[in-house]
Amino acid sequence: MVNPLSFFLRPKVTETFEFRDEELEALGAEIKKEIPKVFGRSLAIRELDSGSDNSTEIEISNLGTPHYDVERFGISFVASPRHADVLLVTGAVTLNMVDAVKKTYEAMPFPKFVVAVGDDACDGGIYKDSYAVLGGVDKVLPVDMKIPGNPPSPKEILCGLFALVKNASQ
Amino acid sequence: MTNSDQNTECFPTLAGLRLTDNHQILMNPTIPVTQETTKILNDISGKQSQIIRMNNNEFYFYQGEEEFLKTVPVLSQKGFVLISLFCVQDFEGNLDFTLFYVFRLNGFTDVFTFIRHVVAETTSIATIFPSACWYEREIRDGFGIEFTDAFDKRRLFLHEAYPENFHPLLKSFRNGKIQFVENPKEAYTFKQVDGEGVYQIPVGPVHAGIIEPGHFRFSVIGEPVFNLEIRLFYKHRGIEKLAEGKSPLECVSLAEAVSGDESAANAAGFCMAVEQICEIEVPVRAEYLRVVVLELERIYSLLGDLAGMAVDIGFALVASPFFILREEVLRQNDKLTGSRFLKGIMVPGGLKTDLPDKSLKRLPVFLKKFSHMFEQAFERAIASSSLIDRFATTGRIKRELISPLNLTGPLARASGSPADIRLDKPYGAYKNFAPKLSVRKKGDVLSRFEVKADEIRASVNLILRFLEKMPEGPICAEYDYDSGTQARGYSFALVEAPRGQNLHWVYLKNGVVDRYKVRTASFCNWQAIEHAVIGNIVPDFPLINKSLNLSYAGTDL
Repeated sequence: MVNPLSFFLRPKVTETFEFRDEELEALGAEIKKEIPKVFGRSLAIRELDSGSDNSTEIEISNLGTPHYDVERFGISFVASPRHADVLLVTGAVTLNMVDAVKKTYEAMPFPKFVVAVGDDACDGGIYKDSYAVLGGVDKVLPVDMKIPGNPPSPKEILCGLFALVKNASQ
Repeated sequence: MTNSDQNTECFPTLAGLRLTDNHQILMNPTIPVTQETTKILNDISGKQSQIIRMNNNEFYFYQGEEEFLKTVPVLSQKGFVLISLFCVQDFEGNLDFTLFYVFRLNGFTDVFTFIRHVVAETTSIATIFPSACWYEREIRDGFGIEFTDAFDKRRLFLHEAYPENFHPLLKSFRNGKIQFVENPKEAYTFKQVDGEGVYQIPVGPVHAGIIEPGHFRFSVIGEPVFNLEIRLFYKHRGIEKLAEGKSPLECVSLAEAVSGDESAANAAGFCMAVEQICEIEVPVRAEYLRVVVLELERIYSLLGDLAGMAVDIGFALVASPFFILREEVLRQNDKLTGSRFLKGIMVPGGLKTDLPDKSLKRLPVFLKKFSHMFEQAFERAIASSSLIDRFATTGRIKRELISPLNLTGPLARASGSPADIRLDKPYGAYKNFAPKLSVRKKGDVLSRFEVKADEIRASVNLILRFLEKMPEGPICAEYDYDSGTQARGYSFALVEAPRGQNLHWVYLKNGVVDRYKVRTASFCNWQAIEHAVIGNIVPDFPLINKSLNLSYAGTDL
């Protein structure tokens, strides 16, 4: 039985960390301004791995970690393609994943955008000549934006998303 | 030269290991392993088998088909573990297929490979060594060799989109785009569990989070899971075929591409195998720096695991410090090597560029601050009773599974098996400094959490000690790759990646890679999850999955 009074005496758990990145904050503020113009209040992103090595996924998931925390800029990662505005695809599309990629894209409601993240999603990268891979994502889906890199850092991914949002109004 | 002469000269080596700390090496150095193995072989067959000995405790045995079939059960009784089984076409003049059965005895340095010549079909050893099941399916998909009495003959990495009789690893197939089957008729058969109240939950390949694709089919009765069958290989990119015909330098980036968060370990494994073939001696500074890089990789990978485990029970407060620490380590990686994931730093012979001195000097300061924050974060995690409630007794992996399935890495150490390649078969600078081993007995999620936290601490200590003793000198061996067109040979390299034992086997012919076999720890460890979830409830599955944190990309290649 915990004594409720002890909650007042416990050390506080919130703390500040010194990693404020001005460039990131500026970029984030701009994104926050742009998103309502097209996407209502927030940008819902579904991530799909069609055959990459894992590093691009780790960088995308790093966008949600405290250093970057893109949720405060209005970007959220959703669990289902039916809730998504943007499909972030990584990996050169393997033959085993072609079906799944197509079905995920078809499950998204219009208007939808596709972003290819990483060298292998852009044009096949190092797996270009392999039998097991179709090549970049543009072989199966209409791609609106390509973010190259092996893997692209979270800031680069954020810049790419900002460019997408800016151009989305056209 | 008779067999007995060879026996007297090859005693079990602890590979020059100098016991500098008071760590436990659980080996018995008085049993000559090679003599024992040759004794087994002689006992069974009465004949003397052909031994090809290499420089670094690799032994290749060739026996005839009959003797091999008699040897296999005896190896199982003596406790040998099958660590890999792969096929090579056109090996050393044999134009048909050569199967390599690779065994190790836990705790001993030597790697024993039995060679078997096959033309089109052969028998399976999966009933004696269960881990052979997946390897044989892999060989069947890659080369078309039928294992006549195998109990599982389904395809492994070629899903339904690939046409019939397509075997990509055959030399007759030139790598290139193929026509795939649009609407396949045959579906993959999963094990059906029938009964009142039993229903199936298929999950995947696209998962709800930011994670790689894979398929899980649960059979549940209410909440508790009754059976789980996994189907992976959605990310099969054909890495082994891509490697063929490339020079060793070109292949390093392919080795890194096997799995993004094991890139340094796989690159190191590939480079070590090439160095052993070409007899390149890596300078000491390069060895030390390589170890620093490998341990940094281990730290950030395990931090991701700890954070992920906390996220999967919905405890963001505990997960955040680990995410923060991981990001800090990734930024340090960037400062040291120019790549957040330590890609592009290893080459055969050493390192591509030296790590900048300024950053190396700041690293101990960073690590001390890191340790302090890590301890605070860990304390906060362990102090939470709800976390302990979710973690303890969940997802138990029994010790009896470790040998038959060749489970390695933190998950095996959490279940009581003290195997670690850095101690059993030390490579590079691990011959001078050994990490502290952390073993738990229970094998549940809490044990894995504790083992991973201990390994992070051990890695930090190891890096600090290496930085203290860092020698000056060249960072890459002088090796003329142009004249290396005559390089030929084959060799193993075993590396302890963050997830466990990675195996690399490279076969060079005329200076280019003829066959590259890579088997990451995840390939073996995935089979443990089917056992770990039985009896647990479905919501615990993401937690168990994250506590193992296996690589889909590393399995699928």
